[in-house]
Amino acid sequence: MAKSMEELMELIDKIPDTPAKPGEFILPELMAIAIAHEVHNDDVVFAGTGLPMVGIMTANFTNAPKATLIYESGICDGKTMHVPMSVCDQRAANMSSTLGGLVDTFGYYLQQGYVTLGFLGGAAIDKYGGVNVTSIGDYYNPSHRFTGSGGNSDIGTMAHRVAYIILQEKRRFLERNDYTTTPGWWCWDFKTNEWKPKKEVWKNTAYANNGPCGVVTNMGVYRFDAEGIIYLETCHPGVTVEQVKDNCGFDLNVSKLSGDTPCPTYRELFILREFVDPELIFLPAKTPYTPDIQAIVDKG
Amino acid sequence: MARIRGKSKTAEILTLDAAVKKYALSGSQIAFSGFTGFNRNPFAFAWEMVRQGVKDIHSIDRHGSCCTWLLNAASAIKIFETDWMGWGEMAGKLDINLGRNYKAGKVILEDYAHGAMAMRFLAGAIGAPFIPYSAPLGSDLYNEKYDALGKAGLRDGKNPKIAKKKFIQMEEPFWGNGDTVLLPAAMPDLAVIHVAQAGDKGTAKWRGVGTIDKEISFACDKVVIIAEEIVPEAEMRKYPEANQIPYFVVDAIVECPWGAFPSSVPYYYDYDAPFMRVMDAASRNPDDLKKFLDEWVFGPASWEEFLVKLGAKKLLDLKAESTGYSTRMLRGKKPAPRMKMPLSVARSGY
Repeated sequence: MAKSMEELMELIDKIPDTPAKPGEFILPELMAIAIAHEVHNDDVVFAGTGLPMVGIMTANFTNAPKATLIYESGICDGKTMHVPMSVCDQRAANMSSTLGGLVDTFGYYLQQGYVTLGFLGGAAIDKYGGVNVTSIGDYYNPSHRFTGSGGNSDIGTMAHRVAYIILQEKRRFLERNDYTTTPGWWCWDFKTNEWKPKKEVWKNTAYANNGPCGVVTNMGVYRFDAEGIIYLETCHPGVTVEQVKDNCGFDLNVSKLSGDTPCPTYRELFILREFVDPELIFLPAKTPYTPDIQAIVDKG
Repeated sequence: MARIRGKSKTAEILTLDAAVKKYALSGSQIAFSGFTGFNRNPFAFAWEMVRQGVKDIHSIDRHGSCCTWLLNAASAIKIFETDWMGWGEMAGKLDINLGRNYKAGKVILEDYAHGAMAMRFLAGAIGAPFIPYSAPLGSDLYNEKYDALGKAGLRDGKNPKIAKKKFIQMEEPFWGNGDTVLLPAAMPDLAVIHVAQAGDKGTAKWRGVGTIDKEISFACDKVVIIAEEIVPEAEMRKYPEANQIPYFVVDAIVECPWGAFPSSVPYYYDYDAPFMRVMDAASRNPDDLKKFLDEWVFGPASWEEFLVKLGAKKLLDLKAESTGYSTRMLRGKKPAPRMKMPLSVARSGY
């Protein structure tokens, strides 16, 4: 007989918190847990829909239970029981501290400087962490038109640090974006028509030192150096540096590579599969447990 | 911007088709309530707009919704001033109809961002002509080269609802805080707001997130409230702190149960993700789209008949539980688990 959620909760501490082996999990699980690791317990996190939301929900159940979650529709610190399909889903508002609106989240929280971590997706990214979610090619006659900013440009510049989750392809990892929705560490100064460090363009504003802190793709995890240029930190298990470089549209700095992205632990995977997305809305399928773990689940 | 108002408005109770006929005029600038395709979209109103052949709409919004999906499906939107071209996030994301119309040059798309649109509606609501906002410097959203309404020659001051500039970047003059961006107020012709309850005088309330519906209600010239139920005004005065919209801004009230389907009305019913996936799939092929519109929009004789066509089983499955949403509707590949408490609270408290 299937176990109740309460019985499954009791099992969490019995599942070993040791890294699973490649092949025992799927890529979306690795990515969700990799972004969850970006969240600190004292963060105020503002996340977009989709993988970022799944990532912070995972973090809230594992490494950062005290982190405050903000969703742009007006939700402050929802305690979610069922994975939301949207940032305005009533599921995301469950047991929240307050419910307001966009003026609350973008004005009172974000512009006011309370948000420490932004969690966003992107269609393309440049080597300075600038993100494009608007269009490819000529803006007025694009070859691809995406959804547009949403909250990306606001959150991506006013949160103290920002983590992105992006699908890595040569045409999505670029020297320069065709259209910059959310500027990274370097951007245009439209007043002088110069490409400059963001710190100079944003001089004297409260947000001059905010910017991207990490990027998680389907191939690896990236950071930014003191000049604001992206570098490869870890490759996901089974991915080679050559494959990463082949899927990058510029000469990527791989000199700081520190090995493989840590595999998610059995406990993290258990939480993700049983408590974050048991309805399989975001995960494509439920990956079977290893016999050892399954035995713990069955015997309990 | 502060407009010269007449006397306090007196809200009239209208039927759905009468409200659309009177207030949803072709060529007007309209804002809808809710958030994306999931929360309090006045879908029945947009549905009736399409049935009545309203066209050339200037939609001004912070994102697409089930309403804009349907209006785009009927090519009824001429200008879409927004910041997010999707409509259903994990159920459909990019609005294929809008993309198709955009490619065919049938719609002008003006890009802003969520925060920027929220601030523009706030300015409209408080009667400010513009508002300074820390909009991202260096973003092409605030690059003068990318101003679709300007490029189309529509910022010439002839249309009182289109600002003469998309934005102005300037040095913040009071505190020495570097540069800031001035954004023009949004003040559309019509707000269509779907709420849980409205009093028969017009006072209105919802539960769940507020998005920017209060701001929209004050920013627009005319306000039509679509309510799940109209109750005696006295009922609304028992807990006035729970109300968001005062009666004096409301022009018309329409009682339309399930009128936000397929989006949700928290504590009334949930969104219908499978139906939204059907909408998304239909939009991928013009023949399928025509079939969908014939079946679901032009087929039923009334909104009530639309609901009868959905069936009692569907409505029961969507009916909200004490949490405000439903766990009976299959959203993904597996049913929702029965939860008593969020894991984060069970393990770590608040």
